[in-house]
Amino acid sequence: MTAVVTAPTPHRVTGLVKSTPGRLSLIALVLVAVSLISGALIGFGVQARSAALEELATRSEPLGFAAQEVYRAMADADATASGAFLSGGVESPQLRTRYEGDIAKAAAALTTATGESTRSPEVAGALTTLSGQLPVYTGLIETARTHNRQGNPVGAAYLREASGLMRAELLPAAQDLYRAETANVVRDQDRAGGGPWTELLLGLFSLAALGLAQWYLTRRTNRLVNVGLLVATGLTLVSLLWVVVASAVVASTVSDSRVDGSTQVDVLARARIDTLTARGDETLTLVALGSGRVYEDRYAVVTKELGELIATAKSLATEPAVRDAVTSAEDQYRAWQDAHQRIRAADDTGDPNAALVIALGTDPGGAAAAFDNLDRDLVTAITRARDAFTGSVATARGALTGTVEVVALLALGAAAAAVAGLWQRLKEYR
Amino acid sequence: MRRLVVVLALLVAACAPVPGPTSDITAGPTGAPRPAGAAEVSAPPSTPAAAPSCDATASLRPTGPPPEPGDMPDGSTMAKIAARGRLIAGVDQNTYPMGFRNPATGTLEGFDVDMAREIAKAIFGDPTRIQFKVLTSDARVPALQNRDVDVVVRTMTVNCERAEKVAFSSVYYQAGQRVLASRGSGITGPDSLGGKRVCATKGSSSLTNVANVASKPTVVSVPNWTDCLVMLQQGQVDAVSTDDTILAGLAAQDPYTEMVGPKFTQEPYGMGIPKADEDFVRFVNAVLERLRTDGTWTTIHQRWLGSLDQAAQPPAAKYRD
Repeated sequence: MTAVVTAPTPHRVTGLVKSTPGRLSLIALVLVAVSLISGALIGFGVQARSAALEELATRSEPLGFAAQEVYRAMADADATASGAFLSGGVESPQLRTRYEGDIAKAAAALTTATGESTRSPEVAGALTTLSGQLPVYTGLIETARTHNRQGNPVGAAYLREASGLMRAELLPAAQDLYRAETANVVRDQDRAGGGPWTELLLGLFSLAALGLAQWYLTRRTNRLVNVGLLVATGLTLVSLLWVVVASAVVASTVSDSRVDGSTQVDVLARARIDTLTARGDETLTLVALGSGRVYEDRYAVVTKELGELIATAKSLATEPAVRDAVTSAEDQYRAWQDAHQRIRAADDTGDPNAALVIALGTDPGGAAAAFDNLDRDLVTAITRARDAFTGSVATARGALTGTVEVVALLALGAAAAAVAGLWQRLKEYR
Repeated sequence: MRRLVVVLALLVAACAPVPGPTSDITAGPTGAPRPAGAAEVSAPPSTPAAAPSCDATASLRPTGPPPEPGDMPDGSTMAKIAARGRLIAGVDQNTYPMGFRNPATGTLEGFDVDMAREIAKAIFGDPTRIQFKVLTSDARVPALQNRDVDVVVRTMTVNCERAEKVAFSSVYYQAGQRVLASRGSGITGPDSLGGKRVCATKGSSSLTNVANVASKPTVVSVPNWTDCLVMLQQGQVDAVSTDDTILAGLAAQDPYTEMVGPKFTQEPYGMGIPKADEDFVRFVNAVLERLRTDGTWTTIHQRWLGSLDQAAQPPAAKYRD
């Protein structure tokens, strides 16, 4: 051993490798290094997986939801503001409360999203637009409101400008934000749920190194088994199995989190965004009073896509609660389409007041009720799917609990056992 | 020893944190947005002089007093409208006091809207048998050509360029183009618009007129006249130029603006009608003839434009048979 500790000259090193004790010492060193390094690398791998899961649970998914809320609240605020204008006179307290609630919600959701802007620089532009232009939007709406109160028709022009800002700047930025955050969810799922190939390779490499050492000892000493090396092999094997099993559980639950959770949430969230867009277009068609072809055409496109998204969500649904909510949403979608037909019929035959009643009235068969119910059903489905997602991710995180510590301890143990095993042989050369 | 100290000092200096560039806060776009559809006019539309010369204000002579409501001649355009059950009229909802949506009630009102109701009243005996379609300035001629509407009553200037595509009734109001600017802006009329930004709606004759004034202002086009007031209030244009009727309506909504300078054009308003509906043109002219003489025109004028010209008389009709 002393030969190893003192600094070797080239001559001494060759001598060292040529003598059996020297070789044994070298093997002990290599085994310690292999055990510790592969243990550390496996530990880092597990740690990265665990970090991805934590990111998923505490940031990506909540931020994706926040982005969705920013979009929803702003789109609803805009549709509500247009509706309040349509209904004439000073807007009703209900519509005003709804608008104010939407703006407060959008601002709160935006705060959540902005807090993480340093993590995802790609959303910085969208966040700057959102936090910079939302106050401009509310300013325009208040100007429109003040003019309306004074009976100035220019109020409608301010409302149009606000709505244009919402549609040209704010909503696209919110959509960018949503896309980026959803991409983060997918990225974290990929990171957390990948196969444990590196870990497997490292573990097999350690086992191979131990096997080779055993083979060399058996040939040199004519003893079949070295207990120390056997223990080291056993510990390495346990560590490898532990990591592989835990990773497999994580991969499977992360896959569950996609199938039962995020994939469905994404489809449902897109359906919800379409619902809001279609409602805005329906309202704007009426505001345009006979020259709203553009809005009506877009309504047709968006509702068609909405129908397809609801059908997709239904086929993807894995839980009864989600399926029930989506089925109900499907009914509300049809009711809305019916109401819309009646709105168009009334508006096209020169009865805009009847159209307004169907579009904005509180009648349970009207478009407003169907829209609200559809949105409510989609929210129910989204909440359930998010619950499934959170549950799966929690299970995955549970599966990794303590794995890093176990891997570290087993690696130390294996290194110690290998050294002890070789020490036994080395002692014979004293 | 001294050398060692120097080396150590250098080492310490090398390891000390290097001051990086200070971070800065960059703001997004500042200021109010522009109304949707606002655009600078780079190539001014053709001058009125370039259009073919004609006597556009001379309309088709009526064939006597209009028939009684509910008694339209068989096969006439009016009979088809009567069979439909409502008149479809293209109007404006953004131009106080000509055609606008009353914010308090949500209904359409104004001088043009009342004139359109008179046509409905002449056909049905009921001014509410009417469906309004809101048209922007540039949508008026296409709406008539596509027969989306029976008639356009929307501050529509009769000119030769348009008369090639649509028919016009006799002139029912004589307006003239002026300039609206903020009080104290130093703008005194069309001659002082050089280098200034002036707003007008897309497809309007006002835009053509102001783009061709001698002082050569920069013209910004928007969809609706109230968008011009928004841009003026947001400091994005220096002036608005269009007919005095429309400018009076904008000035009424903002006491910090005023109309300046003389009327520099004549803008005779006519009702636009699809070119093929000659019987309807004659019918509308017969109705207008009655409105001029029985005091209805004056009543409607007093209601909406009284502040502009107390003693206004209906313009006399010109006919070309």
